[in-house]
Amino acid sequence: MTTVISASGLEKRFGRTVALDGLDLQVDAGEVHGFLGPNGAGKSTTIRIILGLARASGGSAALFGQDPWKHAGELHRRVAYVPGDVSLWPNLTGGEAIDLLARLRGGTHDKAGYAARKQRLLEVFDFDPRKKGRAYSKGNRQKVALIAAFATSAELYILDEPTSGLDPLMEQVFNREIARVSAEGATVLLSSHILSEVEELCDRVSIIRAGKTVESGTLAELRHLTRTEIAFAADGVDPATLAAEVDRIPDAHDLLIDHGRVSFTVDSDRVTSVLPELARLDVHGLTVSPPSLEELFLRHYGDELRERTDVSEEALA
Amino acid sequence: MSTLGTLLRQRLRRDRLQLALWIIGIGVLAYGSIAAVLDTYGDEAERTQILQLATASRTILVFRGTPNGTDLGAFSFFELFAWLALMGGLMSTFLVTRHTRAEEEQGRAELIAATPAGRVKPTVATLIHGVVANLVLGVVVALALIGAGLEAEGSWVTGAAMAATGIAFVAIGLFAAQLFRTSRGANGAGVAVVVGAYLLRGIGDAAGTPSDDLLHVTPAWPSWLSPIGWGQATGAFVENELWPLLLALGVSVVLVAIVFALQSVRDQGASLLPGRKGRASASWALSSSFGLAWRLNVSTLIAWAVGAAVAGLTASSLSGLIDEVSGDVPQVVDTLQAALGGGATLEQAFIAMFLSIIGILAACCAVQVAIRARQEEAHGTAEQVLATPVPRMRWLLEYWLVGVLVIVVVLAAAWLGGLAGSGASNTPSDLVPLISQAALAQLPVSLVFLGLTLLVFALLPRWTIGLGWSIVGVAAIVGVFGPLLGAPDWMVDLSPFTHSPVPTGDDIDWSGGFWMIAIGLVAAALAVVSMRRRELASGA
Repeated sequence: MTTVISASGLEKRFGRTVALDGLDLQVDAGEVHGFLGPNGAGKSTTIRIILGLARASGGSAALFGQDPWKHAGELHRRVAYVPGDVSLWPNLTGGEAIDLLARLRGGTHDKAGYAARKQRLLEVFDFDPRKKGRAYSKGNRQKVALIAAFATSAELYILDEPTSGLDPLMEQVFNREIARVSAEGATVLLSSHILSEVEELCDRVSIIRAGKTVESGTLAELRHLTRTEIAFAADGVDPATLAAEVDRIPDAHDLLIDHGRVSFTVDSDRVTSVLPELARLDVHGLTVSPPSLEELFLRHYGDELRERTDVSEEALA
Repeated sequence: MSTLGTLLRQRLRRDRLQLALWIIGIGVLAYGSIAAVLDTYGDEAERTQILQLATASRTILVFRGTPNGTDLGAFSFFELFAWLALMGGLMSTFLVTRHTRAEEEQGRAELIAATPAGRVKPTVATLIHGVVANLVLGVVVALALIGAGLEAEGSWVTGAAMAATGIAFVAIGLFAAQLFRTSRGANGAGVAVVVGAYLLRGIGDAAGTPSDDLLHVTPAWPSWLSPIGWGQATGAFVENELWPLLLALGVSVVLVAIVFALQSVRDQGASLLPGRKGRASASWALSSSFGLAWRLNVSTLIAWAVGAAVAGLTASSLSGLIDEVSGDVPQVVDTLQAALGGGATLEQAFIAMFLSIIGILAACCAVQVAIRARQEEAHGTAEQVLATPVPRMRWLLEYWLVGVLVIVVVLAAAWLGGLAGSGASNTPSDLVPLISQAALAQLPVSLVFLGLTLLVFALLPRWTIGLGWSIVGVAAIVGVFGPLLGAPDWMVDLSPFTHSPVPTGDDIDWSGGFWMIAIGLVAAALAVVSMRRRELASGA
């Protein structure tokens, strides 16, 4: 399998601010790769370096095996990019901007084919191309970049938080387009902080934090690292007795009895060992939830969240 | 009341620097111009001559006003008022759009409208803000005139005329904000009305009836359609009549009433004229980054080119006239010739001077193209273009090319305007090579500023706008007005404008031009090469 994007030990400093601090990222051909991190983690900076719009202060980045800073122009023939915050030219209509971007990308040689693709996308995204750039809302500006990207066929689609202004209906349209280009063999790098989106679309994810990659792999691999939550109804049993029972189960952690539900977590590879115990207790309303990406995420950012809560509590005190 | 007070304070707070600059700027302009008038035309005989020349030529009246006797105050009012009112008008319409339509377009007005302030109070606050700004402007202008040594009553009448005209433009701006969907549309309409009012009274003044001694002109009816014309009708320093200002205030009251009637029935964010629908797909011209750079600059270019053509036309038609009167009024010729620099014939000197001003215009155009590149970068649209197969160096090189084209078009427009006006000359055939050389002579200096601003953009992107305008502004002031203001030679020599070839006499020294072309090309080349090493610097 060939590597489309590879970055290792990527560093980027803006004055004294460290935006990237040894980031690693590998995206293989044909995969849909989720690039996860909270705002300010360095996602957009990484993308700008991969596109050759910014230069790394350290480490190395390669796009299709070449240095993106030196070969930006030629590499861009193979890439379609949707920025996170799409700006439009105030005196160009949305339709003009779409055509311009598609033509610059060189994806309009087949005129009839392009016109048909554009027309289909205008319809599925329910977009009015005749308004001037200023008149569009954030979601509609994003549609301009998305339509321009999907109307041309690229080997690699780089999408920086592409759905942040779209409504749920349009998110579905977006998901279908990603599925389409992926089925056609394109590679997709999808930066996001919307976990459900990544869960639905991506084959592999990289989670970054403060300019560093903290986790990378398939969702199954990552899930493996976290605990599954098991919960059942307390059914009027005396909480103390129940707690004592559960405590006897090996592998059970984080016991919580609340709102008539008992819940605890187990390491994901130990779930089966817990089941006989649950059968013995004859529990009702059993739910076994594999870890969501959200929990994965919180595992890495939870302490940050806690710190922030502490700070605000201190401020209140 | 408290919400209105809050809104008003917010407007004052937001505008404190910008408005102060406008008002003080206009005040300084008034003071400085009067000082120059006193210096140049201190003598009544000189004023008589220039007024007779102006009345005879008519074209000058378009840019000045109606002569109203040789009194120093009246003469200053004639020279100055229309210009000052034009500036005050622009200040007023920009002010209004900034706080009304622009806010609505950005969605901030909605935020305010959802508070107890409601939909209408922001407009009331903007009206008060605009009226107060114009009253302050009137006082500042009156004090500037008094400070420069003019008589008090006439100065206060001038100040009142400034305030009343400005208030009329505030009302017009408010009306435009109701009509148009975008701030660009509202500002465009505002500027068009202000400039239109200026030109309307220019036409009326030029078509007016002169008195026998050519020292007074009674304006024709078009002047009475213009708020600036009403301000002129006060006859400050002579008649000192205030009733024409009631016209301005009356129109303002009517317009404001219409504005509030419209505002109370329309939706937040809606406009009387629906937003125009544009093309659904791009024309063939918009299929490259060069096409885009051209498209982004072409609308301003048209405006500049029209200005250059009018200036060229004025220059050559006036020069013919100067030739004509030179027999009649030799003193005027002496005065003008002294001001223009000796050696050359009056006609040559006059055209050379006028076209050197067009050189400044072309240089400003070039600077604007370079600044557009920066705006594209700061706005984030350049990022999208550069994420396609367009290399950074080519992208900047294309801006340079567009800059060169813009310069050529502006100079060509001035040249064509000049040729069209040369028919008024006694010897049009002499004028053609002169105008051609003078227009061509402005090319090098424009290339210098194009290259320098692009270099600033490549090396210090965040400084492009401020430094770009400052360099060309300071160079223009030092180069063109420096000698008049008594600036030292070395300082004057620093300005590229000083080195533009001057096509007077038989031997034209083109060497300065060649040097400047070289400098302009080297600066542009450095800029393009530096772009290879530079990242995109988005944001302000």
